[in-house]
Amino acid sequence: MFLLLSSYWFYSQIDIKMTLLLVILTLVFWLLGRGVAYYLDKEDEKRAAIVTNVGVVIGIGALFYFKYLNFFAESVTSFASLFNIHLSWTALHLVVPVGLSFFTFKLMSYVLDIYHGKILPEKNAINFANYIAFFPTILSGPIDRPKPFLKQMNQTRLFNPDNFLIGFRRVLWGMFLKMCVADRLDIYVSAIFNNYEHHSTISIIFASLLYPLQMYADFGGYSEMAIGVALILGFQVAENFKRPFFSTDISEYWRRWHISLTSWLTDYIFLPLNIKFRRFGIQGTMLAIIINMLFVGLWHGANWTFFVFGLYHGSLFIPLLLSGHLNKKKEIKNRTNICSFFVLVTKIASTYFLVTIGQFIFRAPSLSDAYAIIFHSFNSWNGNLFYDMPTLINAIICLIVLFYVDIKEEWFTPKGANQLRWTKPYQVDLILCLEIICILLFGVFDNNQFIYFQF
Amino acid sequence: MKKIILHFITIICLFLLIDRILGVGLGYLYRQSNATDEYKISYTVESTNASMLFMGSSRCLHHYVPSIIEKELGIDCFNAGDWGIKNIYYYYGLLSNILNRYTPKVIVLEIHPSEWLKLPFSGVERAGSLAPYCGMSEGCDEMLKLTGNYYSYYISTVYRYTGSLPNLLLGKWGAMDRNLKGWKPLDGAMDTTGVKAEEYPFPIDQERIRLLERFIKDCKQKNIHLIIIVSPMYACSKEDVFKIPRELASKNNIPFIDHYRDSSFVGHPDLFYDFGHLNRKGAEVYSKKVCKELNSNL
Repeated sequence: MFLLLSSYWFYSQIDIKMTLLLVILTLVFWLLGRGVAYYLDKEDEKRAAIVTNVGVVIGIGALFYFKYLNFFAESVTSFASLFNIHLSWTALHLVVPVGLSFFTFKLMSYVLDIYHGKILPEKNAINFANYIAFFPTILSGPIDRPKPFLKQMNQTRLFNPDNFLIGFRRVLWGMFLKMCVADRLDIYVSAIFNNYEHHSTISIIFASLLYPLQMYADFGGYSEMAIGVALILGFQVAENFKRPFFSTDISEYWRRWHISLTSWLTDYIFLPLNIKFRRFGIQGTMLAIIINMLFVGLWHGANWTFFVFGLYHGSLFIPLLLSGHLNKKKEIKNRTNICSFFVLVTKIASTYFLVTIGQFIFRAPSLSDAYAIIFHSFNSWNGNLFYDMPTLINAIICLIVLFYVDIKEEWFTPKGANQLRWTKPYQVDLILCLEIICILLFGVFDNNQFIYFQF
Repeated sequence: MKKIILHFITIICLFLLIDRILGVGLGYLYRQSNATDEYKISYTVESTNASMLFMGSSRCLHHYVPSIIEKELGIDCFNAGDWGIKNIYYYYGLLSNILNRYTPKVIVLEIHPSEWLKLPFSGVERAGSLAPYCGMSEGCDEMLKLTGNYYSYYISTVYRYTGSLPNLLLGKWGAMDRNLKGWKPLDGAMDTTGVKAEEYPFPIDQERIRLLERFIKDCKQKNIHLIIIVSPMYACSKEDVFKIPRELASKNNIPFIDHYRDSSFVGHPDLFYDFGHLNRKGAEVYSKKVCKELNSNL
């Protein structure tokens, strides 16, 4: 109960009016879960399906109303105007509840999992409310699945000093990523993109190449902090990132980037669609992937840039699918062999480049802005590279630390190794202490906004 | 639980030790640095004994040539202006640190609307540049407290130098010529396309005005001859931008020298680097011109 009150208090500090919505939705879905289970017990599959669908409609309805209604209506009116049909729409001034996209997905997965027999309904409403409102994850995920979380809620949690230290380390690492890498890169990237008219092609390309790293450090940093705080409280929540920029193709990238969202959409959108389109063969899978990636894009917000972002990423899967490389594990075993290492690096670099194009679209405020930046870039080849030396040096020092840690974990750490990374207690204390010093020395302390809070 | 407590005690002790040792090293680099921010602050606070100090933001930094003024007035001077849209929060903290060590005879304060208007891009955070001098004087500490970081600076010495390591390392090779006594010339002529007068549609900030009054009062108490000055702009607002400081100067019997609309500079792109800053030639011409007025006000 204390945890729940803390979570609601935390949420109310950000959005007091929407706390009521959160409580109501939680209660409704808890009752719906009981309803689904009740009909399943009675072997009334039809009614269970109806109740499940009611849950899905409420979840999607809440998302649609707060996030997409204005966008949808405005798109319909402008589309109709192409055919000289004049519709009018006065935009509603809606405040999107913080974390809506994250907690509605949790709510929907709860009723869907009960319906599919993956979990039993949670008897204790407080436990369920804790799952939905758990304060480390409510704002920006990771989007936890009900089964592992509710299982932990129903277990007695004993204080584990190792988990506490691992949690503390992950909070510090998250802070380092956010404050020292993301916010430092943001100074440069925003300086270029917010005034692109005054910058050269080379500067825009350089800022575009830095932006995926900024996004990774920003959202990855938040995820690390959320996972760390959860561990300190005795909970293990889903991982969200697995060094995405070591991906050798786009499908691997999506298995490493925002894992909790992509796995959610894979389970609840892609797999059902893929089964439905099975009779169309490879074209059916293609269609399922593209629809799934459109959901990935539009989940981020109501903007055509996100639609194009989803479409772009969906289309990147097509060559993989046609060549039969999708989901094939491509472990390059001998990295000491120069030739295979070169192939690996080339694949990693080309994937990063493809991701950069997608992130460029993602970052633009609108498609016309994206077009304007590209158009400007084609006409500004003569300018020099803009660099703000102190900012870039700070960022480069921190990026070296980030790459060192990621390369070490990706290539030189055996699976299941000690999460604290060091075994001797003094090493742990020294490294934690140095992380604090690094944050104080290199951090940006006046930018407290996370990019993913807006989604 | 005992294990965790032991870990945390060790971490705190290690932190304090490393932080203090690193702080000493960073402090040394800070004093050696020739990078504009670090050099201007450390030299002004710790070294200069100039009788005449010029204070202000970037317009002060680029507009007053100490060698010309020294030659014309026969008084040693130092340009303590610093860039980065500094404002009265910073100047007050800096003045307090200066007075803690010595008392200049004359202070010339180049004024900007950020001294009395609530400019969204120049607030109390500008006083954060004085963090390395946390604990040096009451006025400086008061400004650092307003930034909300005073106690963090107190706990961590390293935090006082946050983000400035590249400047401290690279600055050793020099971004400023120490022979120029704080003046940083700008070379080149301005591009006049699309240049408009800067307008200031911001509300008056009583807190800043009170600080400006305290600045005047502190100078009076120490018998410092304070002169408030406005250097030229390429393009001028139609509004009476400097009404408030003019009234304040008149109320306190302080000379107020206004070159904002000086026709020998306004609209002369060959004398400007950009719309708000004189270039090397402009600064030299202006310094010679302003000497006569400074002399008559001394």
